[in-house]
Amino acid sequence: MLNLDLFAWWAVTISGGIAFLILVSIYLYTKSRVIRRESHKSAAGTRLGKDFIFVWVLIGLLVFYIVSVNIGSSMVFAAGNIIVEAMLIAYLIMNRREKSAETVRPRSQ
Amino acid sequence: MSEQEVRERLKTHGYNELPTQTLTWLQVLARQFKNPIFIILIACAIVAGLYSEPKQSIIILSMIALSVILGFYNEFKAEKIVVDLRRNVSIKAVVTRDGKPSEIDAKLLVPGDLVSVYVGDIVPADLRTVECKNLQTNEAVLTGESFPIEKTSDGLNLQQPIPHQLMNYQFMGTVIVNGSGKGVVVSTGKNTEFGAISKSLARAHPETEFQKGVRQYGNMLLTLTVALAVGIFGLNAIIGRSPIDSLLFALAVAIGLVPELMPAIVTISLSQGAQRMAKAHVVVKRLVSIEDFGNMDVLCTDKTGTLTEGRIILNDCQSIRGKEDPRVLTYSMLCNAAVVGEKISGNPMDVAIWQHAIEKGAREDARNYTKVDELPFDYQRRMMSVVVRNNGEFTLITKGAPESILSKCTYVETGSEEPIDTTLHLSINDKFLNLSHLGYRVIAVAYKNVDEKTSYSAEDETDLTLLGFLTFTDPPKKDATSAVANLNEMGVNTKILTGDNELVARKICDDLNLPVKRVIGGSELTQMSSTEIKAAVEESTIFARITPEQKLDIIKALKANGHVVGFMGDGVNDAPALYEADVGISVDTAVDVSKDAADIVLLDKDLLVLANGITEGRKIFGNTTKYILMGTSSNFGNMFSAAAASIFLPFLPMLPMQILFMNLLYDVANMTLPTDNVDEEYTKWPKRWDIGFVRKYTLFFGPFSSLYDFLTFGIMLFIFGTFAAANLSPTSPEFLKFASLFQSGWFVESFWTEVLVMFVIRTRRIPFLSSRPGKWLTVLTLSCIAFGTILPFTILGDFLGFTALPAEYWVLLILMVATYLLLVDAGKVFFYKICKF
Repeated sequence: MLNLDLFAWWAVTISGGIAFLILVSIYLYTKSRVIRRESHKSAAGTRLGKDFIFVWVLIGLLVFYIVSVNIGSSMVFAAGNIIVEAMLIAYLIMNRREKSAETVRPRSQ
Repeated sequence: MSEQEVRERLKTHGYNELPTQTLTWLQVLARQFKNPIFIILIACAIVAGLYSEPKQSIIILSMIALSVILGFYNEFKAEKIVVDLRRNVSIKAVVTRDGKPSEIDAKLLVPGDLVSVYVGDIVPADLRTVECKNLQTNEAVLTGESFPIEKTSDGLNLQQPIPHQLMNYQFMGTVIVNGSGKGVVVSTGKNTEFGAISKSLARAHPETEFQKGVRQYGNMLLTLTVALAVGIFGLNAIIGRSPIDSLLFALAVAIGLVPELMPAIVTISLSQGAQRMAKAHVVVKRLVSIEDFGNMDVLCTDKTGTLTEGRIILNDCQSIRGKEDPRVLTYSMLCNAAVVGEKISGNPMDVAIWQHAIEKGAREDARNYTKVDELPFDYQRRMMSVVVRNNGEFTLITKGAPESILSKCTYVETGSEEPIDTTLHLSINDKFLNLSHLGYRVIAVAYKNVDEKTSYSAEDETDLTLLGFLTFTDPPKKDATSAVANLNEMGVNTKILTGDNELVARKICDDLNLPVKRVIGGSELTQMSSTEIKAAVEESTIFARITPEQKLDIIKALKANGHVVGFMGDGVNDAPALYEADVGISVDTAVDVSKDAADIVLLDKDLLVLANGITEGRKIFGNTTKYILMGTSSNFGNMFSAAAASIFLPFLPMLPMQILFMNLLYDVANMTLPTDNVDEEYTKWPKRWDIGFVRKYTLFFGPFSSLYDFLTFGIMLFIFGTFAAANLSPTSPEFLKFASLFQSGWFVESFWTEVLVMFVIRTRRIPFLSSRPGKWLTVLTLSCIAFGTILPFTILGDFLGFTALPAEYWVLLILMVATYLLLVDAGKVFFYKICKF
């Protein structure tokens, strides 16, 4: 049986943590767009699907973690983690292919 | 002067020596405490000692002691190397006292002494020349001018003269390169020109960019720590925990935030880098300068002795038509004041002529001539002559300043003897001027056949036939061109700051393939406001005819413009700039005062070691940054979770002692971080310490750690059932058992994530696959992980309040940590796309 008060506290805290991380990601993303625009570099429109894939992953994780902990099953938790890991590996492979090598920052004269 | 008078003057003026800067062990030790991190830790140790078990205070003090001892040992060792490096040469001087000449230690000279100087002597004090014969000095150490300066005993009518203009003075530290003379000592020790420059170094070393960055970082941590500690203490007290327990927990969290071993990690990184650089014959005097060495984006350098060999060579000997003429060389060997034996000594230009002749195998060409008479050089005529005999014919050969020689010539040899009319005179004069503009020092050679006489005079130096000219230069060091090219490729702009004239400086830039954007002279710089100087330093490559003070102004302006500035020099005139620059680089052949002021001393002439040093500095900066970024973000995340959890949990999420122990174990795992590999792209360009970036990094990566801490809390509470403690009495054994299980579970997860994330964060590439961590880092980190894993099953674990964890937990932990590391790697890709560093 769950202690609902404690669970509510926990769910609020972990949701707060993820919300904070999402807000920081959006803040940093927006700031980098402003800097790019100020330095006259071409700025493509925001692509909610692609640019914010990281944020979608976080929201998905939050839902999965709250649900699996609520169920209290270690099996569900383990299986869910494996699925998330597979998705993250796929994301990283796709992303690294796009950016095959680290680029060197252009020298500022 | 009588001995009595000498003693009295010695009392008044002191010894004729300059104070050198050496740090005592106490100063090196005191320097270790100039760090805000220690202030936080010492405050925590005091509070813990007063209000808690002394055990906690002892642990904190041990952490401080470990860091201080490591830092002190490495830094003091580096200081000692420099002291050993300093050659303690005692200079002698020939002085006439009570009418008798004698050789004494130069430090015993007093104003009023009459000193005799000869070729090869180092001038022992500032002297007013009273007698001289063909006296020439090399004042490069004082002014940067590499060609000899002619001296006179005549009075000069100058208002506010600068050292360049005082032809009747000889300055301490300069070298007699020709002739001899006598001078009266006018000032000694710190009152000399040499001393005035070294006196300007008797102030605190300016803070380097790296030190500024560490200070900013310390202040940021201080603010965070105080805010979090006060917040935790307040909230825990409000929810009803005992004030002492709340205070201790708040203190433990505060300590958890502080990267205690950061000073030690930085010092170990720096000293290991210094040891590697010492193998390449680069002595690092001030360890902290290594990081700035790597981050330097502008290198200002003196010319003579640093980029150039600091010696004059004969570049060419040509006829007026511009073709190489062996007779020009032969005649200049004959008309020459150098003493040629096993070693060639004398005026550098005469020496250069002989060295050139020997290299060309032309030494024998002068054998058929017999010297009959010699008219020595003097600065009124600006020429010297010899009369030689060859096959019964007598020839007067004259060599000297082109304009003086040309005025004595009526013919020029262009295959045959051609009279010099006004047009030809102007054309020859233009040729000399062009060569001067190309940065060469030019000497003309002329001759005429003369009748046999018992003696010859300056009146014979007329109606000469101009034969040709010699060009001299101070050549660039062999590897200087590649060194400058390497620096450019590494993102370091080179600028030349010299006391020499613009033409000579331009010549060296041409030789080094260094494009010249703009040249600024010392007089032009004097007219500029500080704002104009700031703009000018950005676009200028050469600063010519500048004084030591102006070198200092240029360095300050570049620093104010946000550059990390290095300065390389070897003369006394370079010392203030060496001291002011973020990185002062000197060479082993430099004067002591210059080596004293420098942070880094190159023992070899090889300038290519500069690039190695810069790469080393960048690697060290990279590894230090890794520690800071990892430590701040994961520590911040963990401590934030601890603070949040302490509010809703019925027990403390981790005991203060457990937090301290985890921190210590984490620091041990980090001890080999200085040996970690650094990705190649990281060392390609200079980096800047950017506290804004550290803040963003902490804000972004800190929550990842917190997120997984919260997840662990959920697992421990709701999968492993420790939530049941909420309904138990805090003193019951079951409550304590649940609390211990929870704390053990979080300790292991927290430690695993904190340590293993190092492998993800240490590189921007794919961890392990495209960037391998250092061998020792991997071994030590995995050993610490193993230790942290078995800890709950040991007696020590029991002592620290841990309990054995169920097997099921380990399966979930492995899966959870794997997800965490993949998520951080994905976050890293996202973060570096939008945040540059």
